[in-house]
Amino acid sequence: MTLIDDFALLEKHGFKLLPYSLAKNEKEALAAAKKIGYPVALKIVSPGITHKTDVGGVKLKIKDERSLRIAYEEIIQSAGSAKLDGVLVQKMARKGVELIIGGKKDPQFGHMIILGLGGIYVEIFRDISARLCPLVSEDVDEMIAELKSHPLLEGARGKKPINKKVLEQLALRACRFMAQEDITEMDLNPVIIDEKGCDIVDARFSR
Amino acid sequence: MDRRIRSLDHIFNPKVVAIVGASATPNKIGNVLIKNFYDARFQGRVCPVNPKYADIMGFRCYPTVESIPGKVDCVIIATPAETVPEIMEECARKEVGGVIILSGGFEEVKRDDLALKIREVADKSGIPVIGPNCLGVYNPYTKVDSIFLPTYKLERPKAGGIAFITQSGAVGSTVMDLAAYNGLGISKFISYGNSTVLDESDYLEYLMQDEETEIIILYIEGAKDGRRLYETMKKVNKVKPIIALKAGRGRGAAAAARSHTGNIAGSYLAYQAAFKQAKVTEANTLGEVFDIVKIFNQPKPKGKRVGVITNGGGIGVLTADAIESEGLEIAQFSDETRAGLAKILPSYGNVANPLDLVADAGVEAYGKAIDLMMADKNIDALLIIILTQTPPIDERIIHVLSRVVDEKQKAIATISIGGAYTETYRKILEGKGVPSYDSPNSAARAMERLMTYAKYRELLGKK
Repeated sequence: MTLIDDFALLEKHGFKLLPYSLAKNEKEALAAAKKIGYPVALKIVSPGITHKTDVGGVKLKIKDERSLRIAYEEIIQSAGSAKLDGVLVQKMARKGVELIIGGKKDPQFGHMIILGLGGIYVEIFRDISARLCPLVSEDVDEMIAELKSHPLLEGARGKKPINKKVLEQLALRACRFMAQEDITEMDLNPVIIDEKGCDIVDARFSR
Repeated sequence: MDRRIRSLDHIFNPKVVAIVGASATPNKIGNVLIKNFYDARFQGRVCPVNPKYADIMGFRCYPTVESIPGKVDCVIIATPAETVPEIMEECARKEVGGVIILSGGFEEVKRDDLALKIREVADKSGIPVIGPNCLGVYNPYTKVDSIFLPTYKLERPKAGGIAFITQSGAVGSTVMDLAAYNGLGISKFISYGNSTVLDESDYLEYLMQDEETEIIILYIEGAKDGRRLYETMKKVNKVKPIIALKAGRGRGAAAAARSHTGNIAGSYLAYQAAFKQAKVTEANTLGEVFDIVKIFNQPKPKGKRVGVITNGGGIGVLTADAIESEGLEIAQFSDETRAGLAKILPSYGNVANPLDLVADAGVEAYGKAIDLMMADKNIDALLIIILTQTPPIDERIIHVLSRVVDEKQKAIATISIGGAYTETYRKILEGKGVPSYDSPNSAARAMERLMTYAKYRELLGKK
């Protein structure tokens, strides 16, 4: 399964991904960006590269054709000798709170959903909450309230609170998806959420 | 409910108990078992089984289970693992009521073949089987006792409403000892070991309909079927509160638990989620299990507003801190309560919550202050600090508090901090059913758990 196949399957299950296109060369990248609309992000797609950012394989906030050409060249350089599937052209995500929505199949309890705030909150503070599938909306409310960092979701420092309804629908959809496709592990990471809606920036899963 | 689960009645309320592997040698497990039945004045018939003896301690001894005349309700097996499958066959032919296998040497040492034979016989015959690799059961109501530890070393608790399900025998036996020491009453004790035939979910189902059981403690290392446990907990916890303690949370501990019980410990995150979604009260330590369970005999609070009474200012402040850190509220007294309290305080006293009766406060002042707060609609529960070191406090405080608990108006918990003298008071209070704590934090935490469960039950009632 390639990244594009994965994305397609998620879309089939009703996940709204950020508009994207896989470009094989600079010309295709330019055309895709034009169609998607600037600003865009470029991301290296290679089976051998898991941590795209670490190798310099991600370029964000590309606002015009000229910057895109430069960014494309840099990404190709960064790949070195690694085998490339192409470069993903993706619409820039909204500004908002970075979330991780994970899922796994526990050998004892079956499918479960894990919610956490992205970045250092998950990695350093291990600030996550979990519930078994299937979820009801009350479960999602509790998962949010349980996070130590939940004030960030409730609108700390003058920001508007996130759209909980959207998060709830996404979590419920993730449960259904895991059950129907018998997923062993999934990661929607990051999901950027604000008061209006959310953008699924990257997604991975395995069966 | 499964017929086999209902058949556990044969094990808990037997008329005839057979002990296979009975021994005349003191301190052998097969001897301690008989002695325990004898010492507890078990009202039914005890039948030792061992072809080597004609009688043991005055009980007639039988060569086999099948040679016992009449119906046998409960068979306790304490012979080496290799002999157990054959004894199980015999039990099936005899159509016994139920079997407890104390012997180890099955899944936990990779003898799944022996375990499989037991399961086959049990499934074919429908006989309920507890164990193997366990301590079995204790029922203080009928004196059935397969705990092979001498009673002079491990005291048995009195009869009461707390059921205890434990995978580990060691944890089970220490909890029993502590329960007895602290005066807590037990309804049923089940140490189930490898759960080869019946598992934790079956025992929860059984206890849900057990008349003597009011609250269930569940100690678990690894569930046999996590999903079923989740569904069962959801169902049972609606009727009777479950207090759960999960061991084997870290990776190292999980590995130890696996070799220990033969079950694979699932990830703790999933257990935590299951407890939360089933609204089961989770304890983090054995100490917390006791803290929580002893407050669950109290009336269910309607809210989270706490009234505090103390005879020492500082402990009152610490208690207010603990109340806040648990997310509970310090109650605002009604005008009536304020007026009433002003009358019982000395001239230099101050009507406030926490209410400081000051160190001169006698037992009467406690009684009056408690009654006023019980009548106040702005208060949902009381934390009562009694510093027994002050001169006017004497044993009459015990009568006041046990009266308050018997009246069952609102939930109370008492806090007394001190040395041997104070601990004596606490023990007496606990024996009278008055929840007593040695720190404001443990009292406030237990109260919070009770309030959270009470709220869950209230919401259920509205649905």
